[in-house]
Amino acid sequence: MSDRYFISDSDLRGLAADLLGAGTEVIAPVATDICQSPSAIAATACTLDHSLVDIDYRALTSADELDLDRGLPQLSLKGYFLPEHEALCSWKQKGTTIEVEEVPTEFAARVVLAAKPCDAAALEVVDKVMNWDYKDELWNGRREATTIVNLTCPMIDDSCFCTAVGTAPDDVKGADGLLTPVAGGYVYEPATDKGRALIEGNKARFSGDVEADTLGREADDERAASRRRVAANLEIDAESVRDWIDTHFEDPLLSQLAIRCNGCGACTSVCPTCHCFDIVDEQEGVGHGTRRRCWDTCQAPTFTLHASGHNPRDDQHVRYRQRINHKFAIYPLKFGEVLCTGCGRCTRVCHAGQDLVEILQAIDIAARRPGDADPAAAEPEEAAS
Amino acid sequence: MNIYQPLLTTVTEVVDETADTRTLRLEFQDEALRKDFSFKAGQFGEYSVFGAGESTFCIASSPTREGYIECSFKAIGKVTTELREVNIGDTVGFRGPYGNWFPVDDWKGKDVVFVAGGIGLAPVRCVIWNVLDRRDEFGDVTIVYGARSVDDLVYKRELEEWGSRADVKMVTTVDPGGETKDWTGEVGYVTPVVEKTAPKADNAVAVVCGPPIVVKLTLPVLEQLGFADDAVFTTLENRMKCGLGKCGRCNIGPVYVCKDGPVFTAAQMKALPAEF
Amino acid sequence: MTDTATAPVYTGVDDLRRIARELLEAGDVRVIIGWEAARRGARPVFVSDPAETDKLIFDTRCVHNLVTYLNPRRDHVAELGKIALVVKGCDVKAVAGLLRESQLGRADVVLIGVRCGGVLEENELPAALALTPETVAPRCYGCDNREPTLTDHLVGEPQPEPPRPVMTIDERVAALDGQPLEERWAFWTEQFGKCVRCYACRQVCPLCICEQCIVEKTRPQWIESSAHPRGNLSWNVTRAIHLAGRCVDCGECERFCPVGIPLSLLNRKLQDIVRERYDYTVSDDPENAAPIGDYRLDDQQEFIK
Repeated sequence: MSDRYFISDSDLRGLAADLLGAGTEVIAPVATDICQSPSAIAATACTLDHSLVDIDYRALTSADELDLDRGLPQLSLKGYFLPEHEALCSWKQKGTTIEVEEVPTEFAARVVLAAKPCDAAALEVVDKVMNWDYKDELWNGRREATTIVNLTCPMIDDSCFCTAVGTAPDDVKGADGLLTPVAGGYVYEPATDKGRALIEGNKARFSGDVEADTLGREADDERAASRRRVAANLEIDAESVRDWIDTHFEDPLLSQLAIRCNGCGACTSVCPTCHCFDIVDEQEGVGHGTRRRCWDTCQAPTFTLHASGHNPRDDQHVRYRQRINHKFAIYPLKFGEVLCTGCGRCTRVCHAGQDLVEILQAIDIAARRPGDADPAAAEPEEAAS
Repeated sequence: MNIYQPLLTTVTEVVDETADTRTLRLEFQDEALRKDFSFKAGQFGEYSVFGAGESTFCIASSPTREGYIECSFKAIGKVTTELREVNIGDTVGFRGPYGNWFPVDDWKGKDVVFVAGGIGLAPVRCVIWNVLDRRDEFGDVTIVYGARSVDDLVYKRELEEWGSRADVKMVTTVDPGGETKDWTGEVGYVTPVVEKTAPKADNAVAVVCGPPIVVKLTLPVLEQLGFADDAVFTTLENRMKCGLGKCGRCNIGPVYVCKDGPVFTAAQMKALPAEF
Repeated sequence: MTDTATAPVYTGVDDLRRIARELLEAGDVRVIIGWEAARRGARPVFVSDPAETDKLIFDTRCVHNLVTYLNPRRDHVAELGKIALVVKGCDVKAVAGLLRESQLGRADVVLIGVRCGGVLEENELPAALALTPETVAPRCYGCDNREPTLTDHLVGEPQPEPPRPVMTIDERVAALDGQPLEERWAFWTEQFGKCVRCYACRQVCPLCICEQCIVEKTRPQWIESSAHPRGNLSWNVTRAIHLAGRCVDCGECERFCPVGIPLSLLNRKLQDIVRERYDYTVSDDPENAAPIGDYRLDDQQEFIK
């Protein structure tokens, strides 16, 4: 049980300001008041319900931008550790001589404030593949340079299911400390040396007075309530699901569950744990260029296309199966972790109606009660239209 | 330096095996690397043409030959088309060696049978030389190799060399219609020629590589001849990018071809889901 | 705020279900593709069992253009058998596009048209909302196909015009056009900077049907695949141009975009240009050939120098 500290609302913003003032990059949720529809790009009000105001993780330019309303950023923290595109090396060519230029693998220290626990947990999950024998210096360098402070999540909506896949709305997996809202501010619990160093370097902002029976209990209650809310969304036996998928590769259930999918890959872009990437050379002038890696998606038809024209996964339901397989069977078998932290973004962003809560429910049923396996059984009663 | 940064090699030899297949001999530009670089038969690398990208091929030379590595490829895509244009003295990038390897040491005292089709001879050639360079450690060596036509045969000089050795049984074949007037080898698809050659399965291992159809049809023939599933080895290819288990592209079910492969026994292959 | 407007009452749902059931029972059609109500709102549904046709709905949440499921590359949908597709007026224009481009034979699909008075911007709502200037999808304004002709069946009662949105797409396009070049460039650079190259826009578009998309060609690499502004600009503009004169304004590309790029502005601008130069507007008449696939002697050609 680690120490607990109190930091007031204004001190938390002050902490952000102090860090920025010292030249430290601070990444945090920022609410963008530009709504994503043409009718609202103008200065007129956003037409969508304000609970859907867009939030993104951004590098703060001022502490005022820090959004602590605990909404879900559109994209996860993934892009800060595995950028959408990243130089691996560059080269200069003169005649037949080539000089390869290295890229830095050490990065300036930076802080993430008010991260979603599902996003931080995802980083620890992906750490496994980035280190299973070859160590990915670029990923590791960014991980080492970053202090991540989570903010206990109240649960976003009924597409959240972090507790079903081994994490929780108040987890510190992959992170260095946890803030939980209480009256007047937050209780802060450091979980690692980096989390403690944040206090050491900013003592004025934190106070050690956290009464166990008042603020302490308030924090505990808040955390427990969040966990209960999320657990109500989905409960699965992740090991049964893993084993069922591993032994039912050709099962028609997996095709039925994939039927709506367009193969757009939006799910893989917004996913905090999807890490598949492509490597491309980009000629940028005569005799010089950059080799980059960039996000790729197993949902794209060309993902597994051989130069010969042969494609082992040449239809969408087969590619969709790969996604489910990779996340809930292959990765757990190889690394002992589900490649998913239940953030629910894939379900929310899928405008074709693919619903991971429904899919996991159907597979869980198939795994535990084979006689009941029917995707329709997982759907709710038909809503009155 | 990060794991994705390639080492630099210089092209020292170029052999155009067929109209669209080429072999390159590469020497590391770094002197220490030239001496120290080692690998095992069956491993592969990522070869780059800077500006075009990387492509995945096995290391086609034997680990018993020091100071250089070789690769053979068919010009079929963006990078291989560029590789077909490189000349002696040009720089080619290399990352590797990656993947697992043929357990050649386990085969001491056994007979070794090699079956290959077309460009599939490239990874097998590596093992053939590995075995021949340590010839007295092994029993009988049989090689059955076929291609569509006489022109399509790769490593033509070496086929002759192997054929002229008393301690190797070399059977070369071309598909019906692919023979030339003065062709003295077999005529027929690889699989029936393997059947005809009927290598003994007792205390033997087999290495099979080639286009999927050759592998698919040859495995049952070897099974009929008495080869156990774990005595038959093949090497699979799949689309790869990082080559070292991170980019998530080459998996066949739970098996990452770049790490758990590319060398598999027939038993392991049969356990793979139908995704390759 | 939403009480003052009347929600279009989309009648004809019973007829829709009856027609669907009859088609399946007759045996020629093997699957109905329509909309259903699910946990998160309306979404596409594939019904093969006549007893399940009661799942079909039609209300203001039925935003999806289901014509995307007719795309020839969707083998696993084609394997289900002959399709009967539920289509709104905007959707069915995409069918006309596929017919025009010989991607589909008219007899290959049964079209069940629905008379629509507009849809919401989002499908993900537990219940259908009324259409108001704030909630209506801007693309619905000015709809010219509320009485679709390219159908085998047509259900529902004629609907009033959709309400005028807070700001129409044309107004926004005009506002952008009125800005100086540097500001427009800054706007689009910021928008395309968000692109993560997921290709959701392409995958969902019913008219993005190329077997090998230009962005997938590597010899030569016409468009860089990395998600930097240079590659993104190239991709988004190329795609918009490839749809000039073909895009039906279904808005799915923009709706699917996970980072909210206002693609409807690009598409609308190109439609305006095509209308001006070639006197052509996309309709659901398959005989009406699009400028990209057709040549007329009186086409403007002052740009040929």
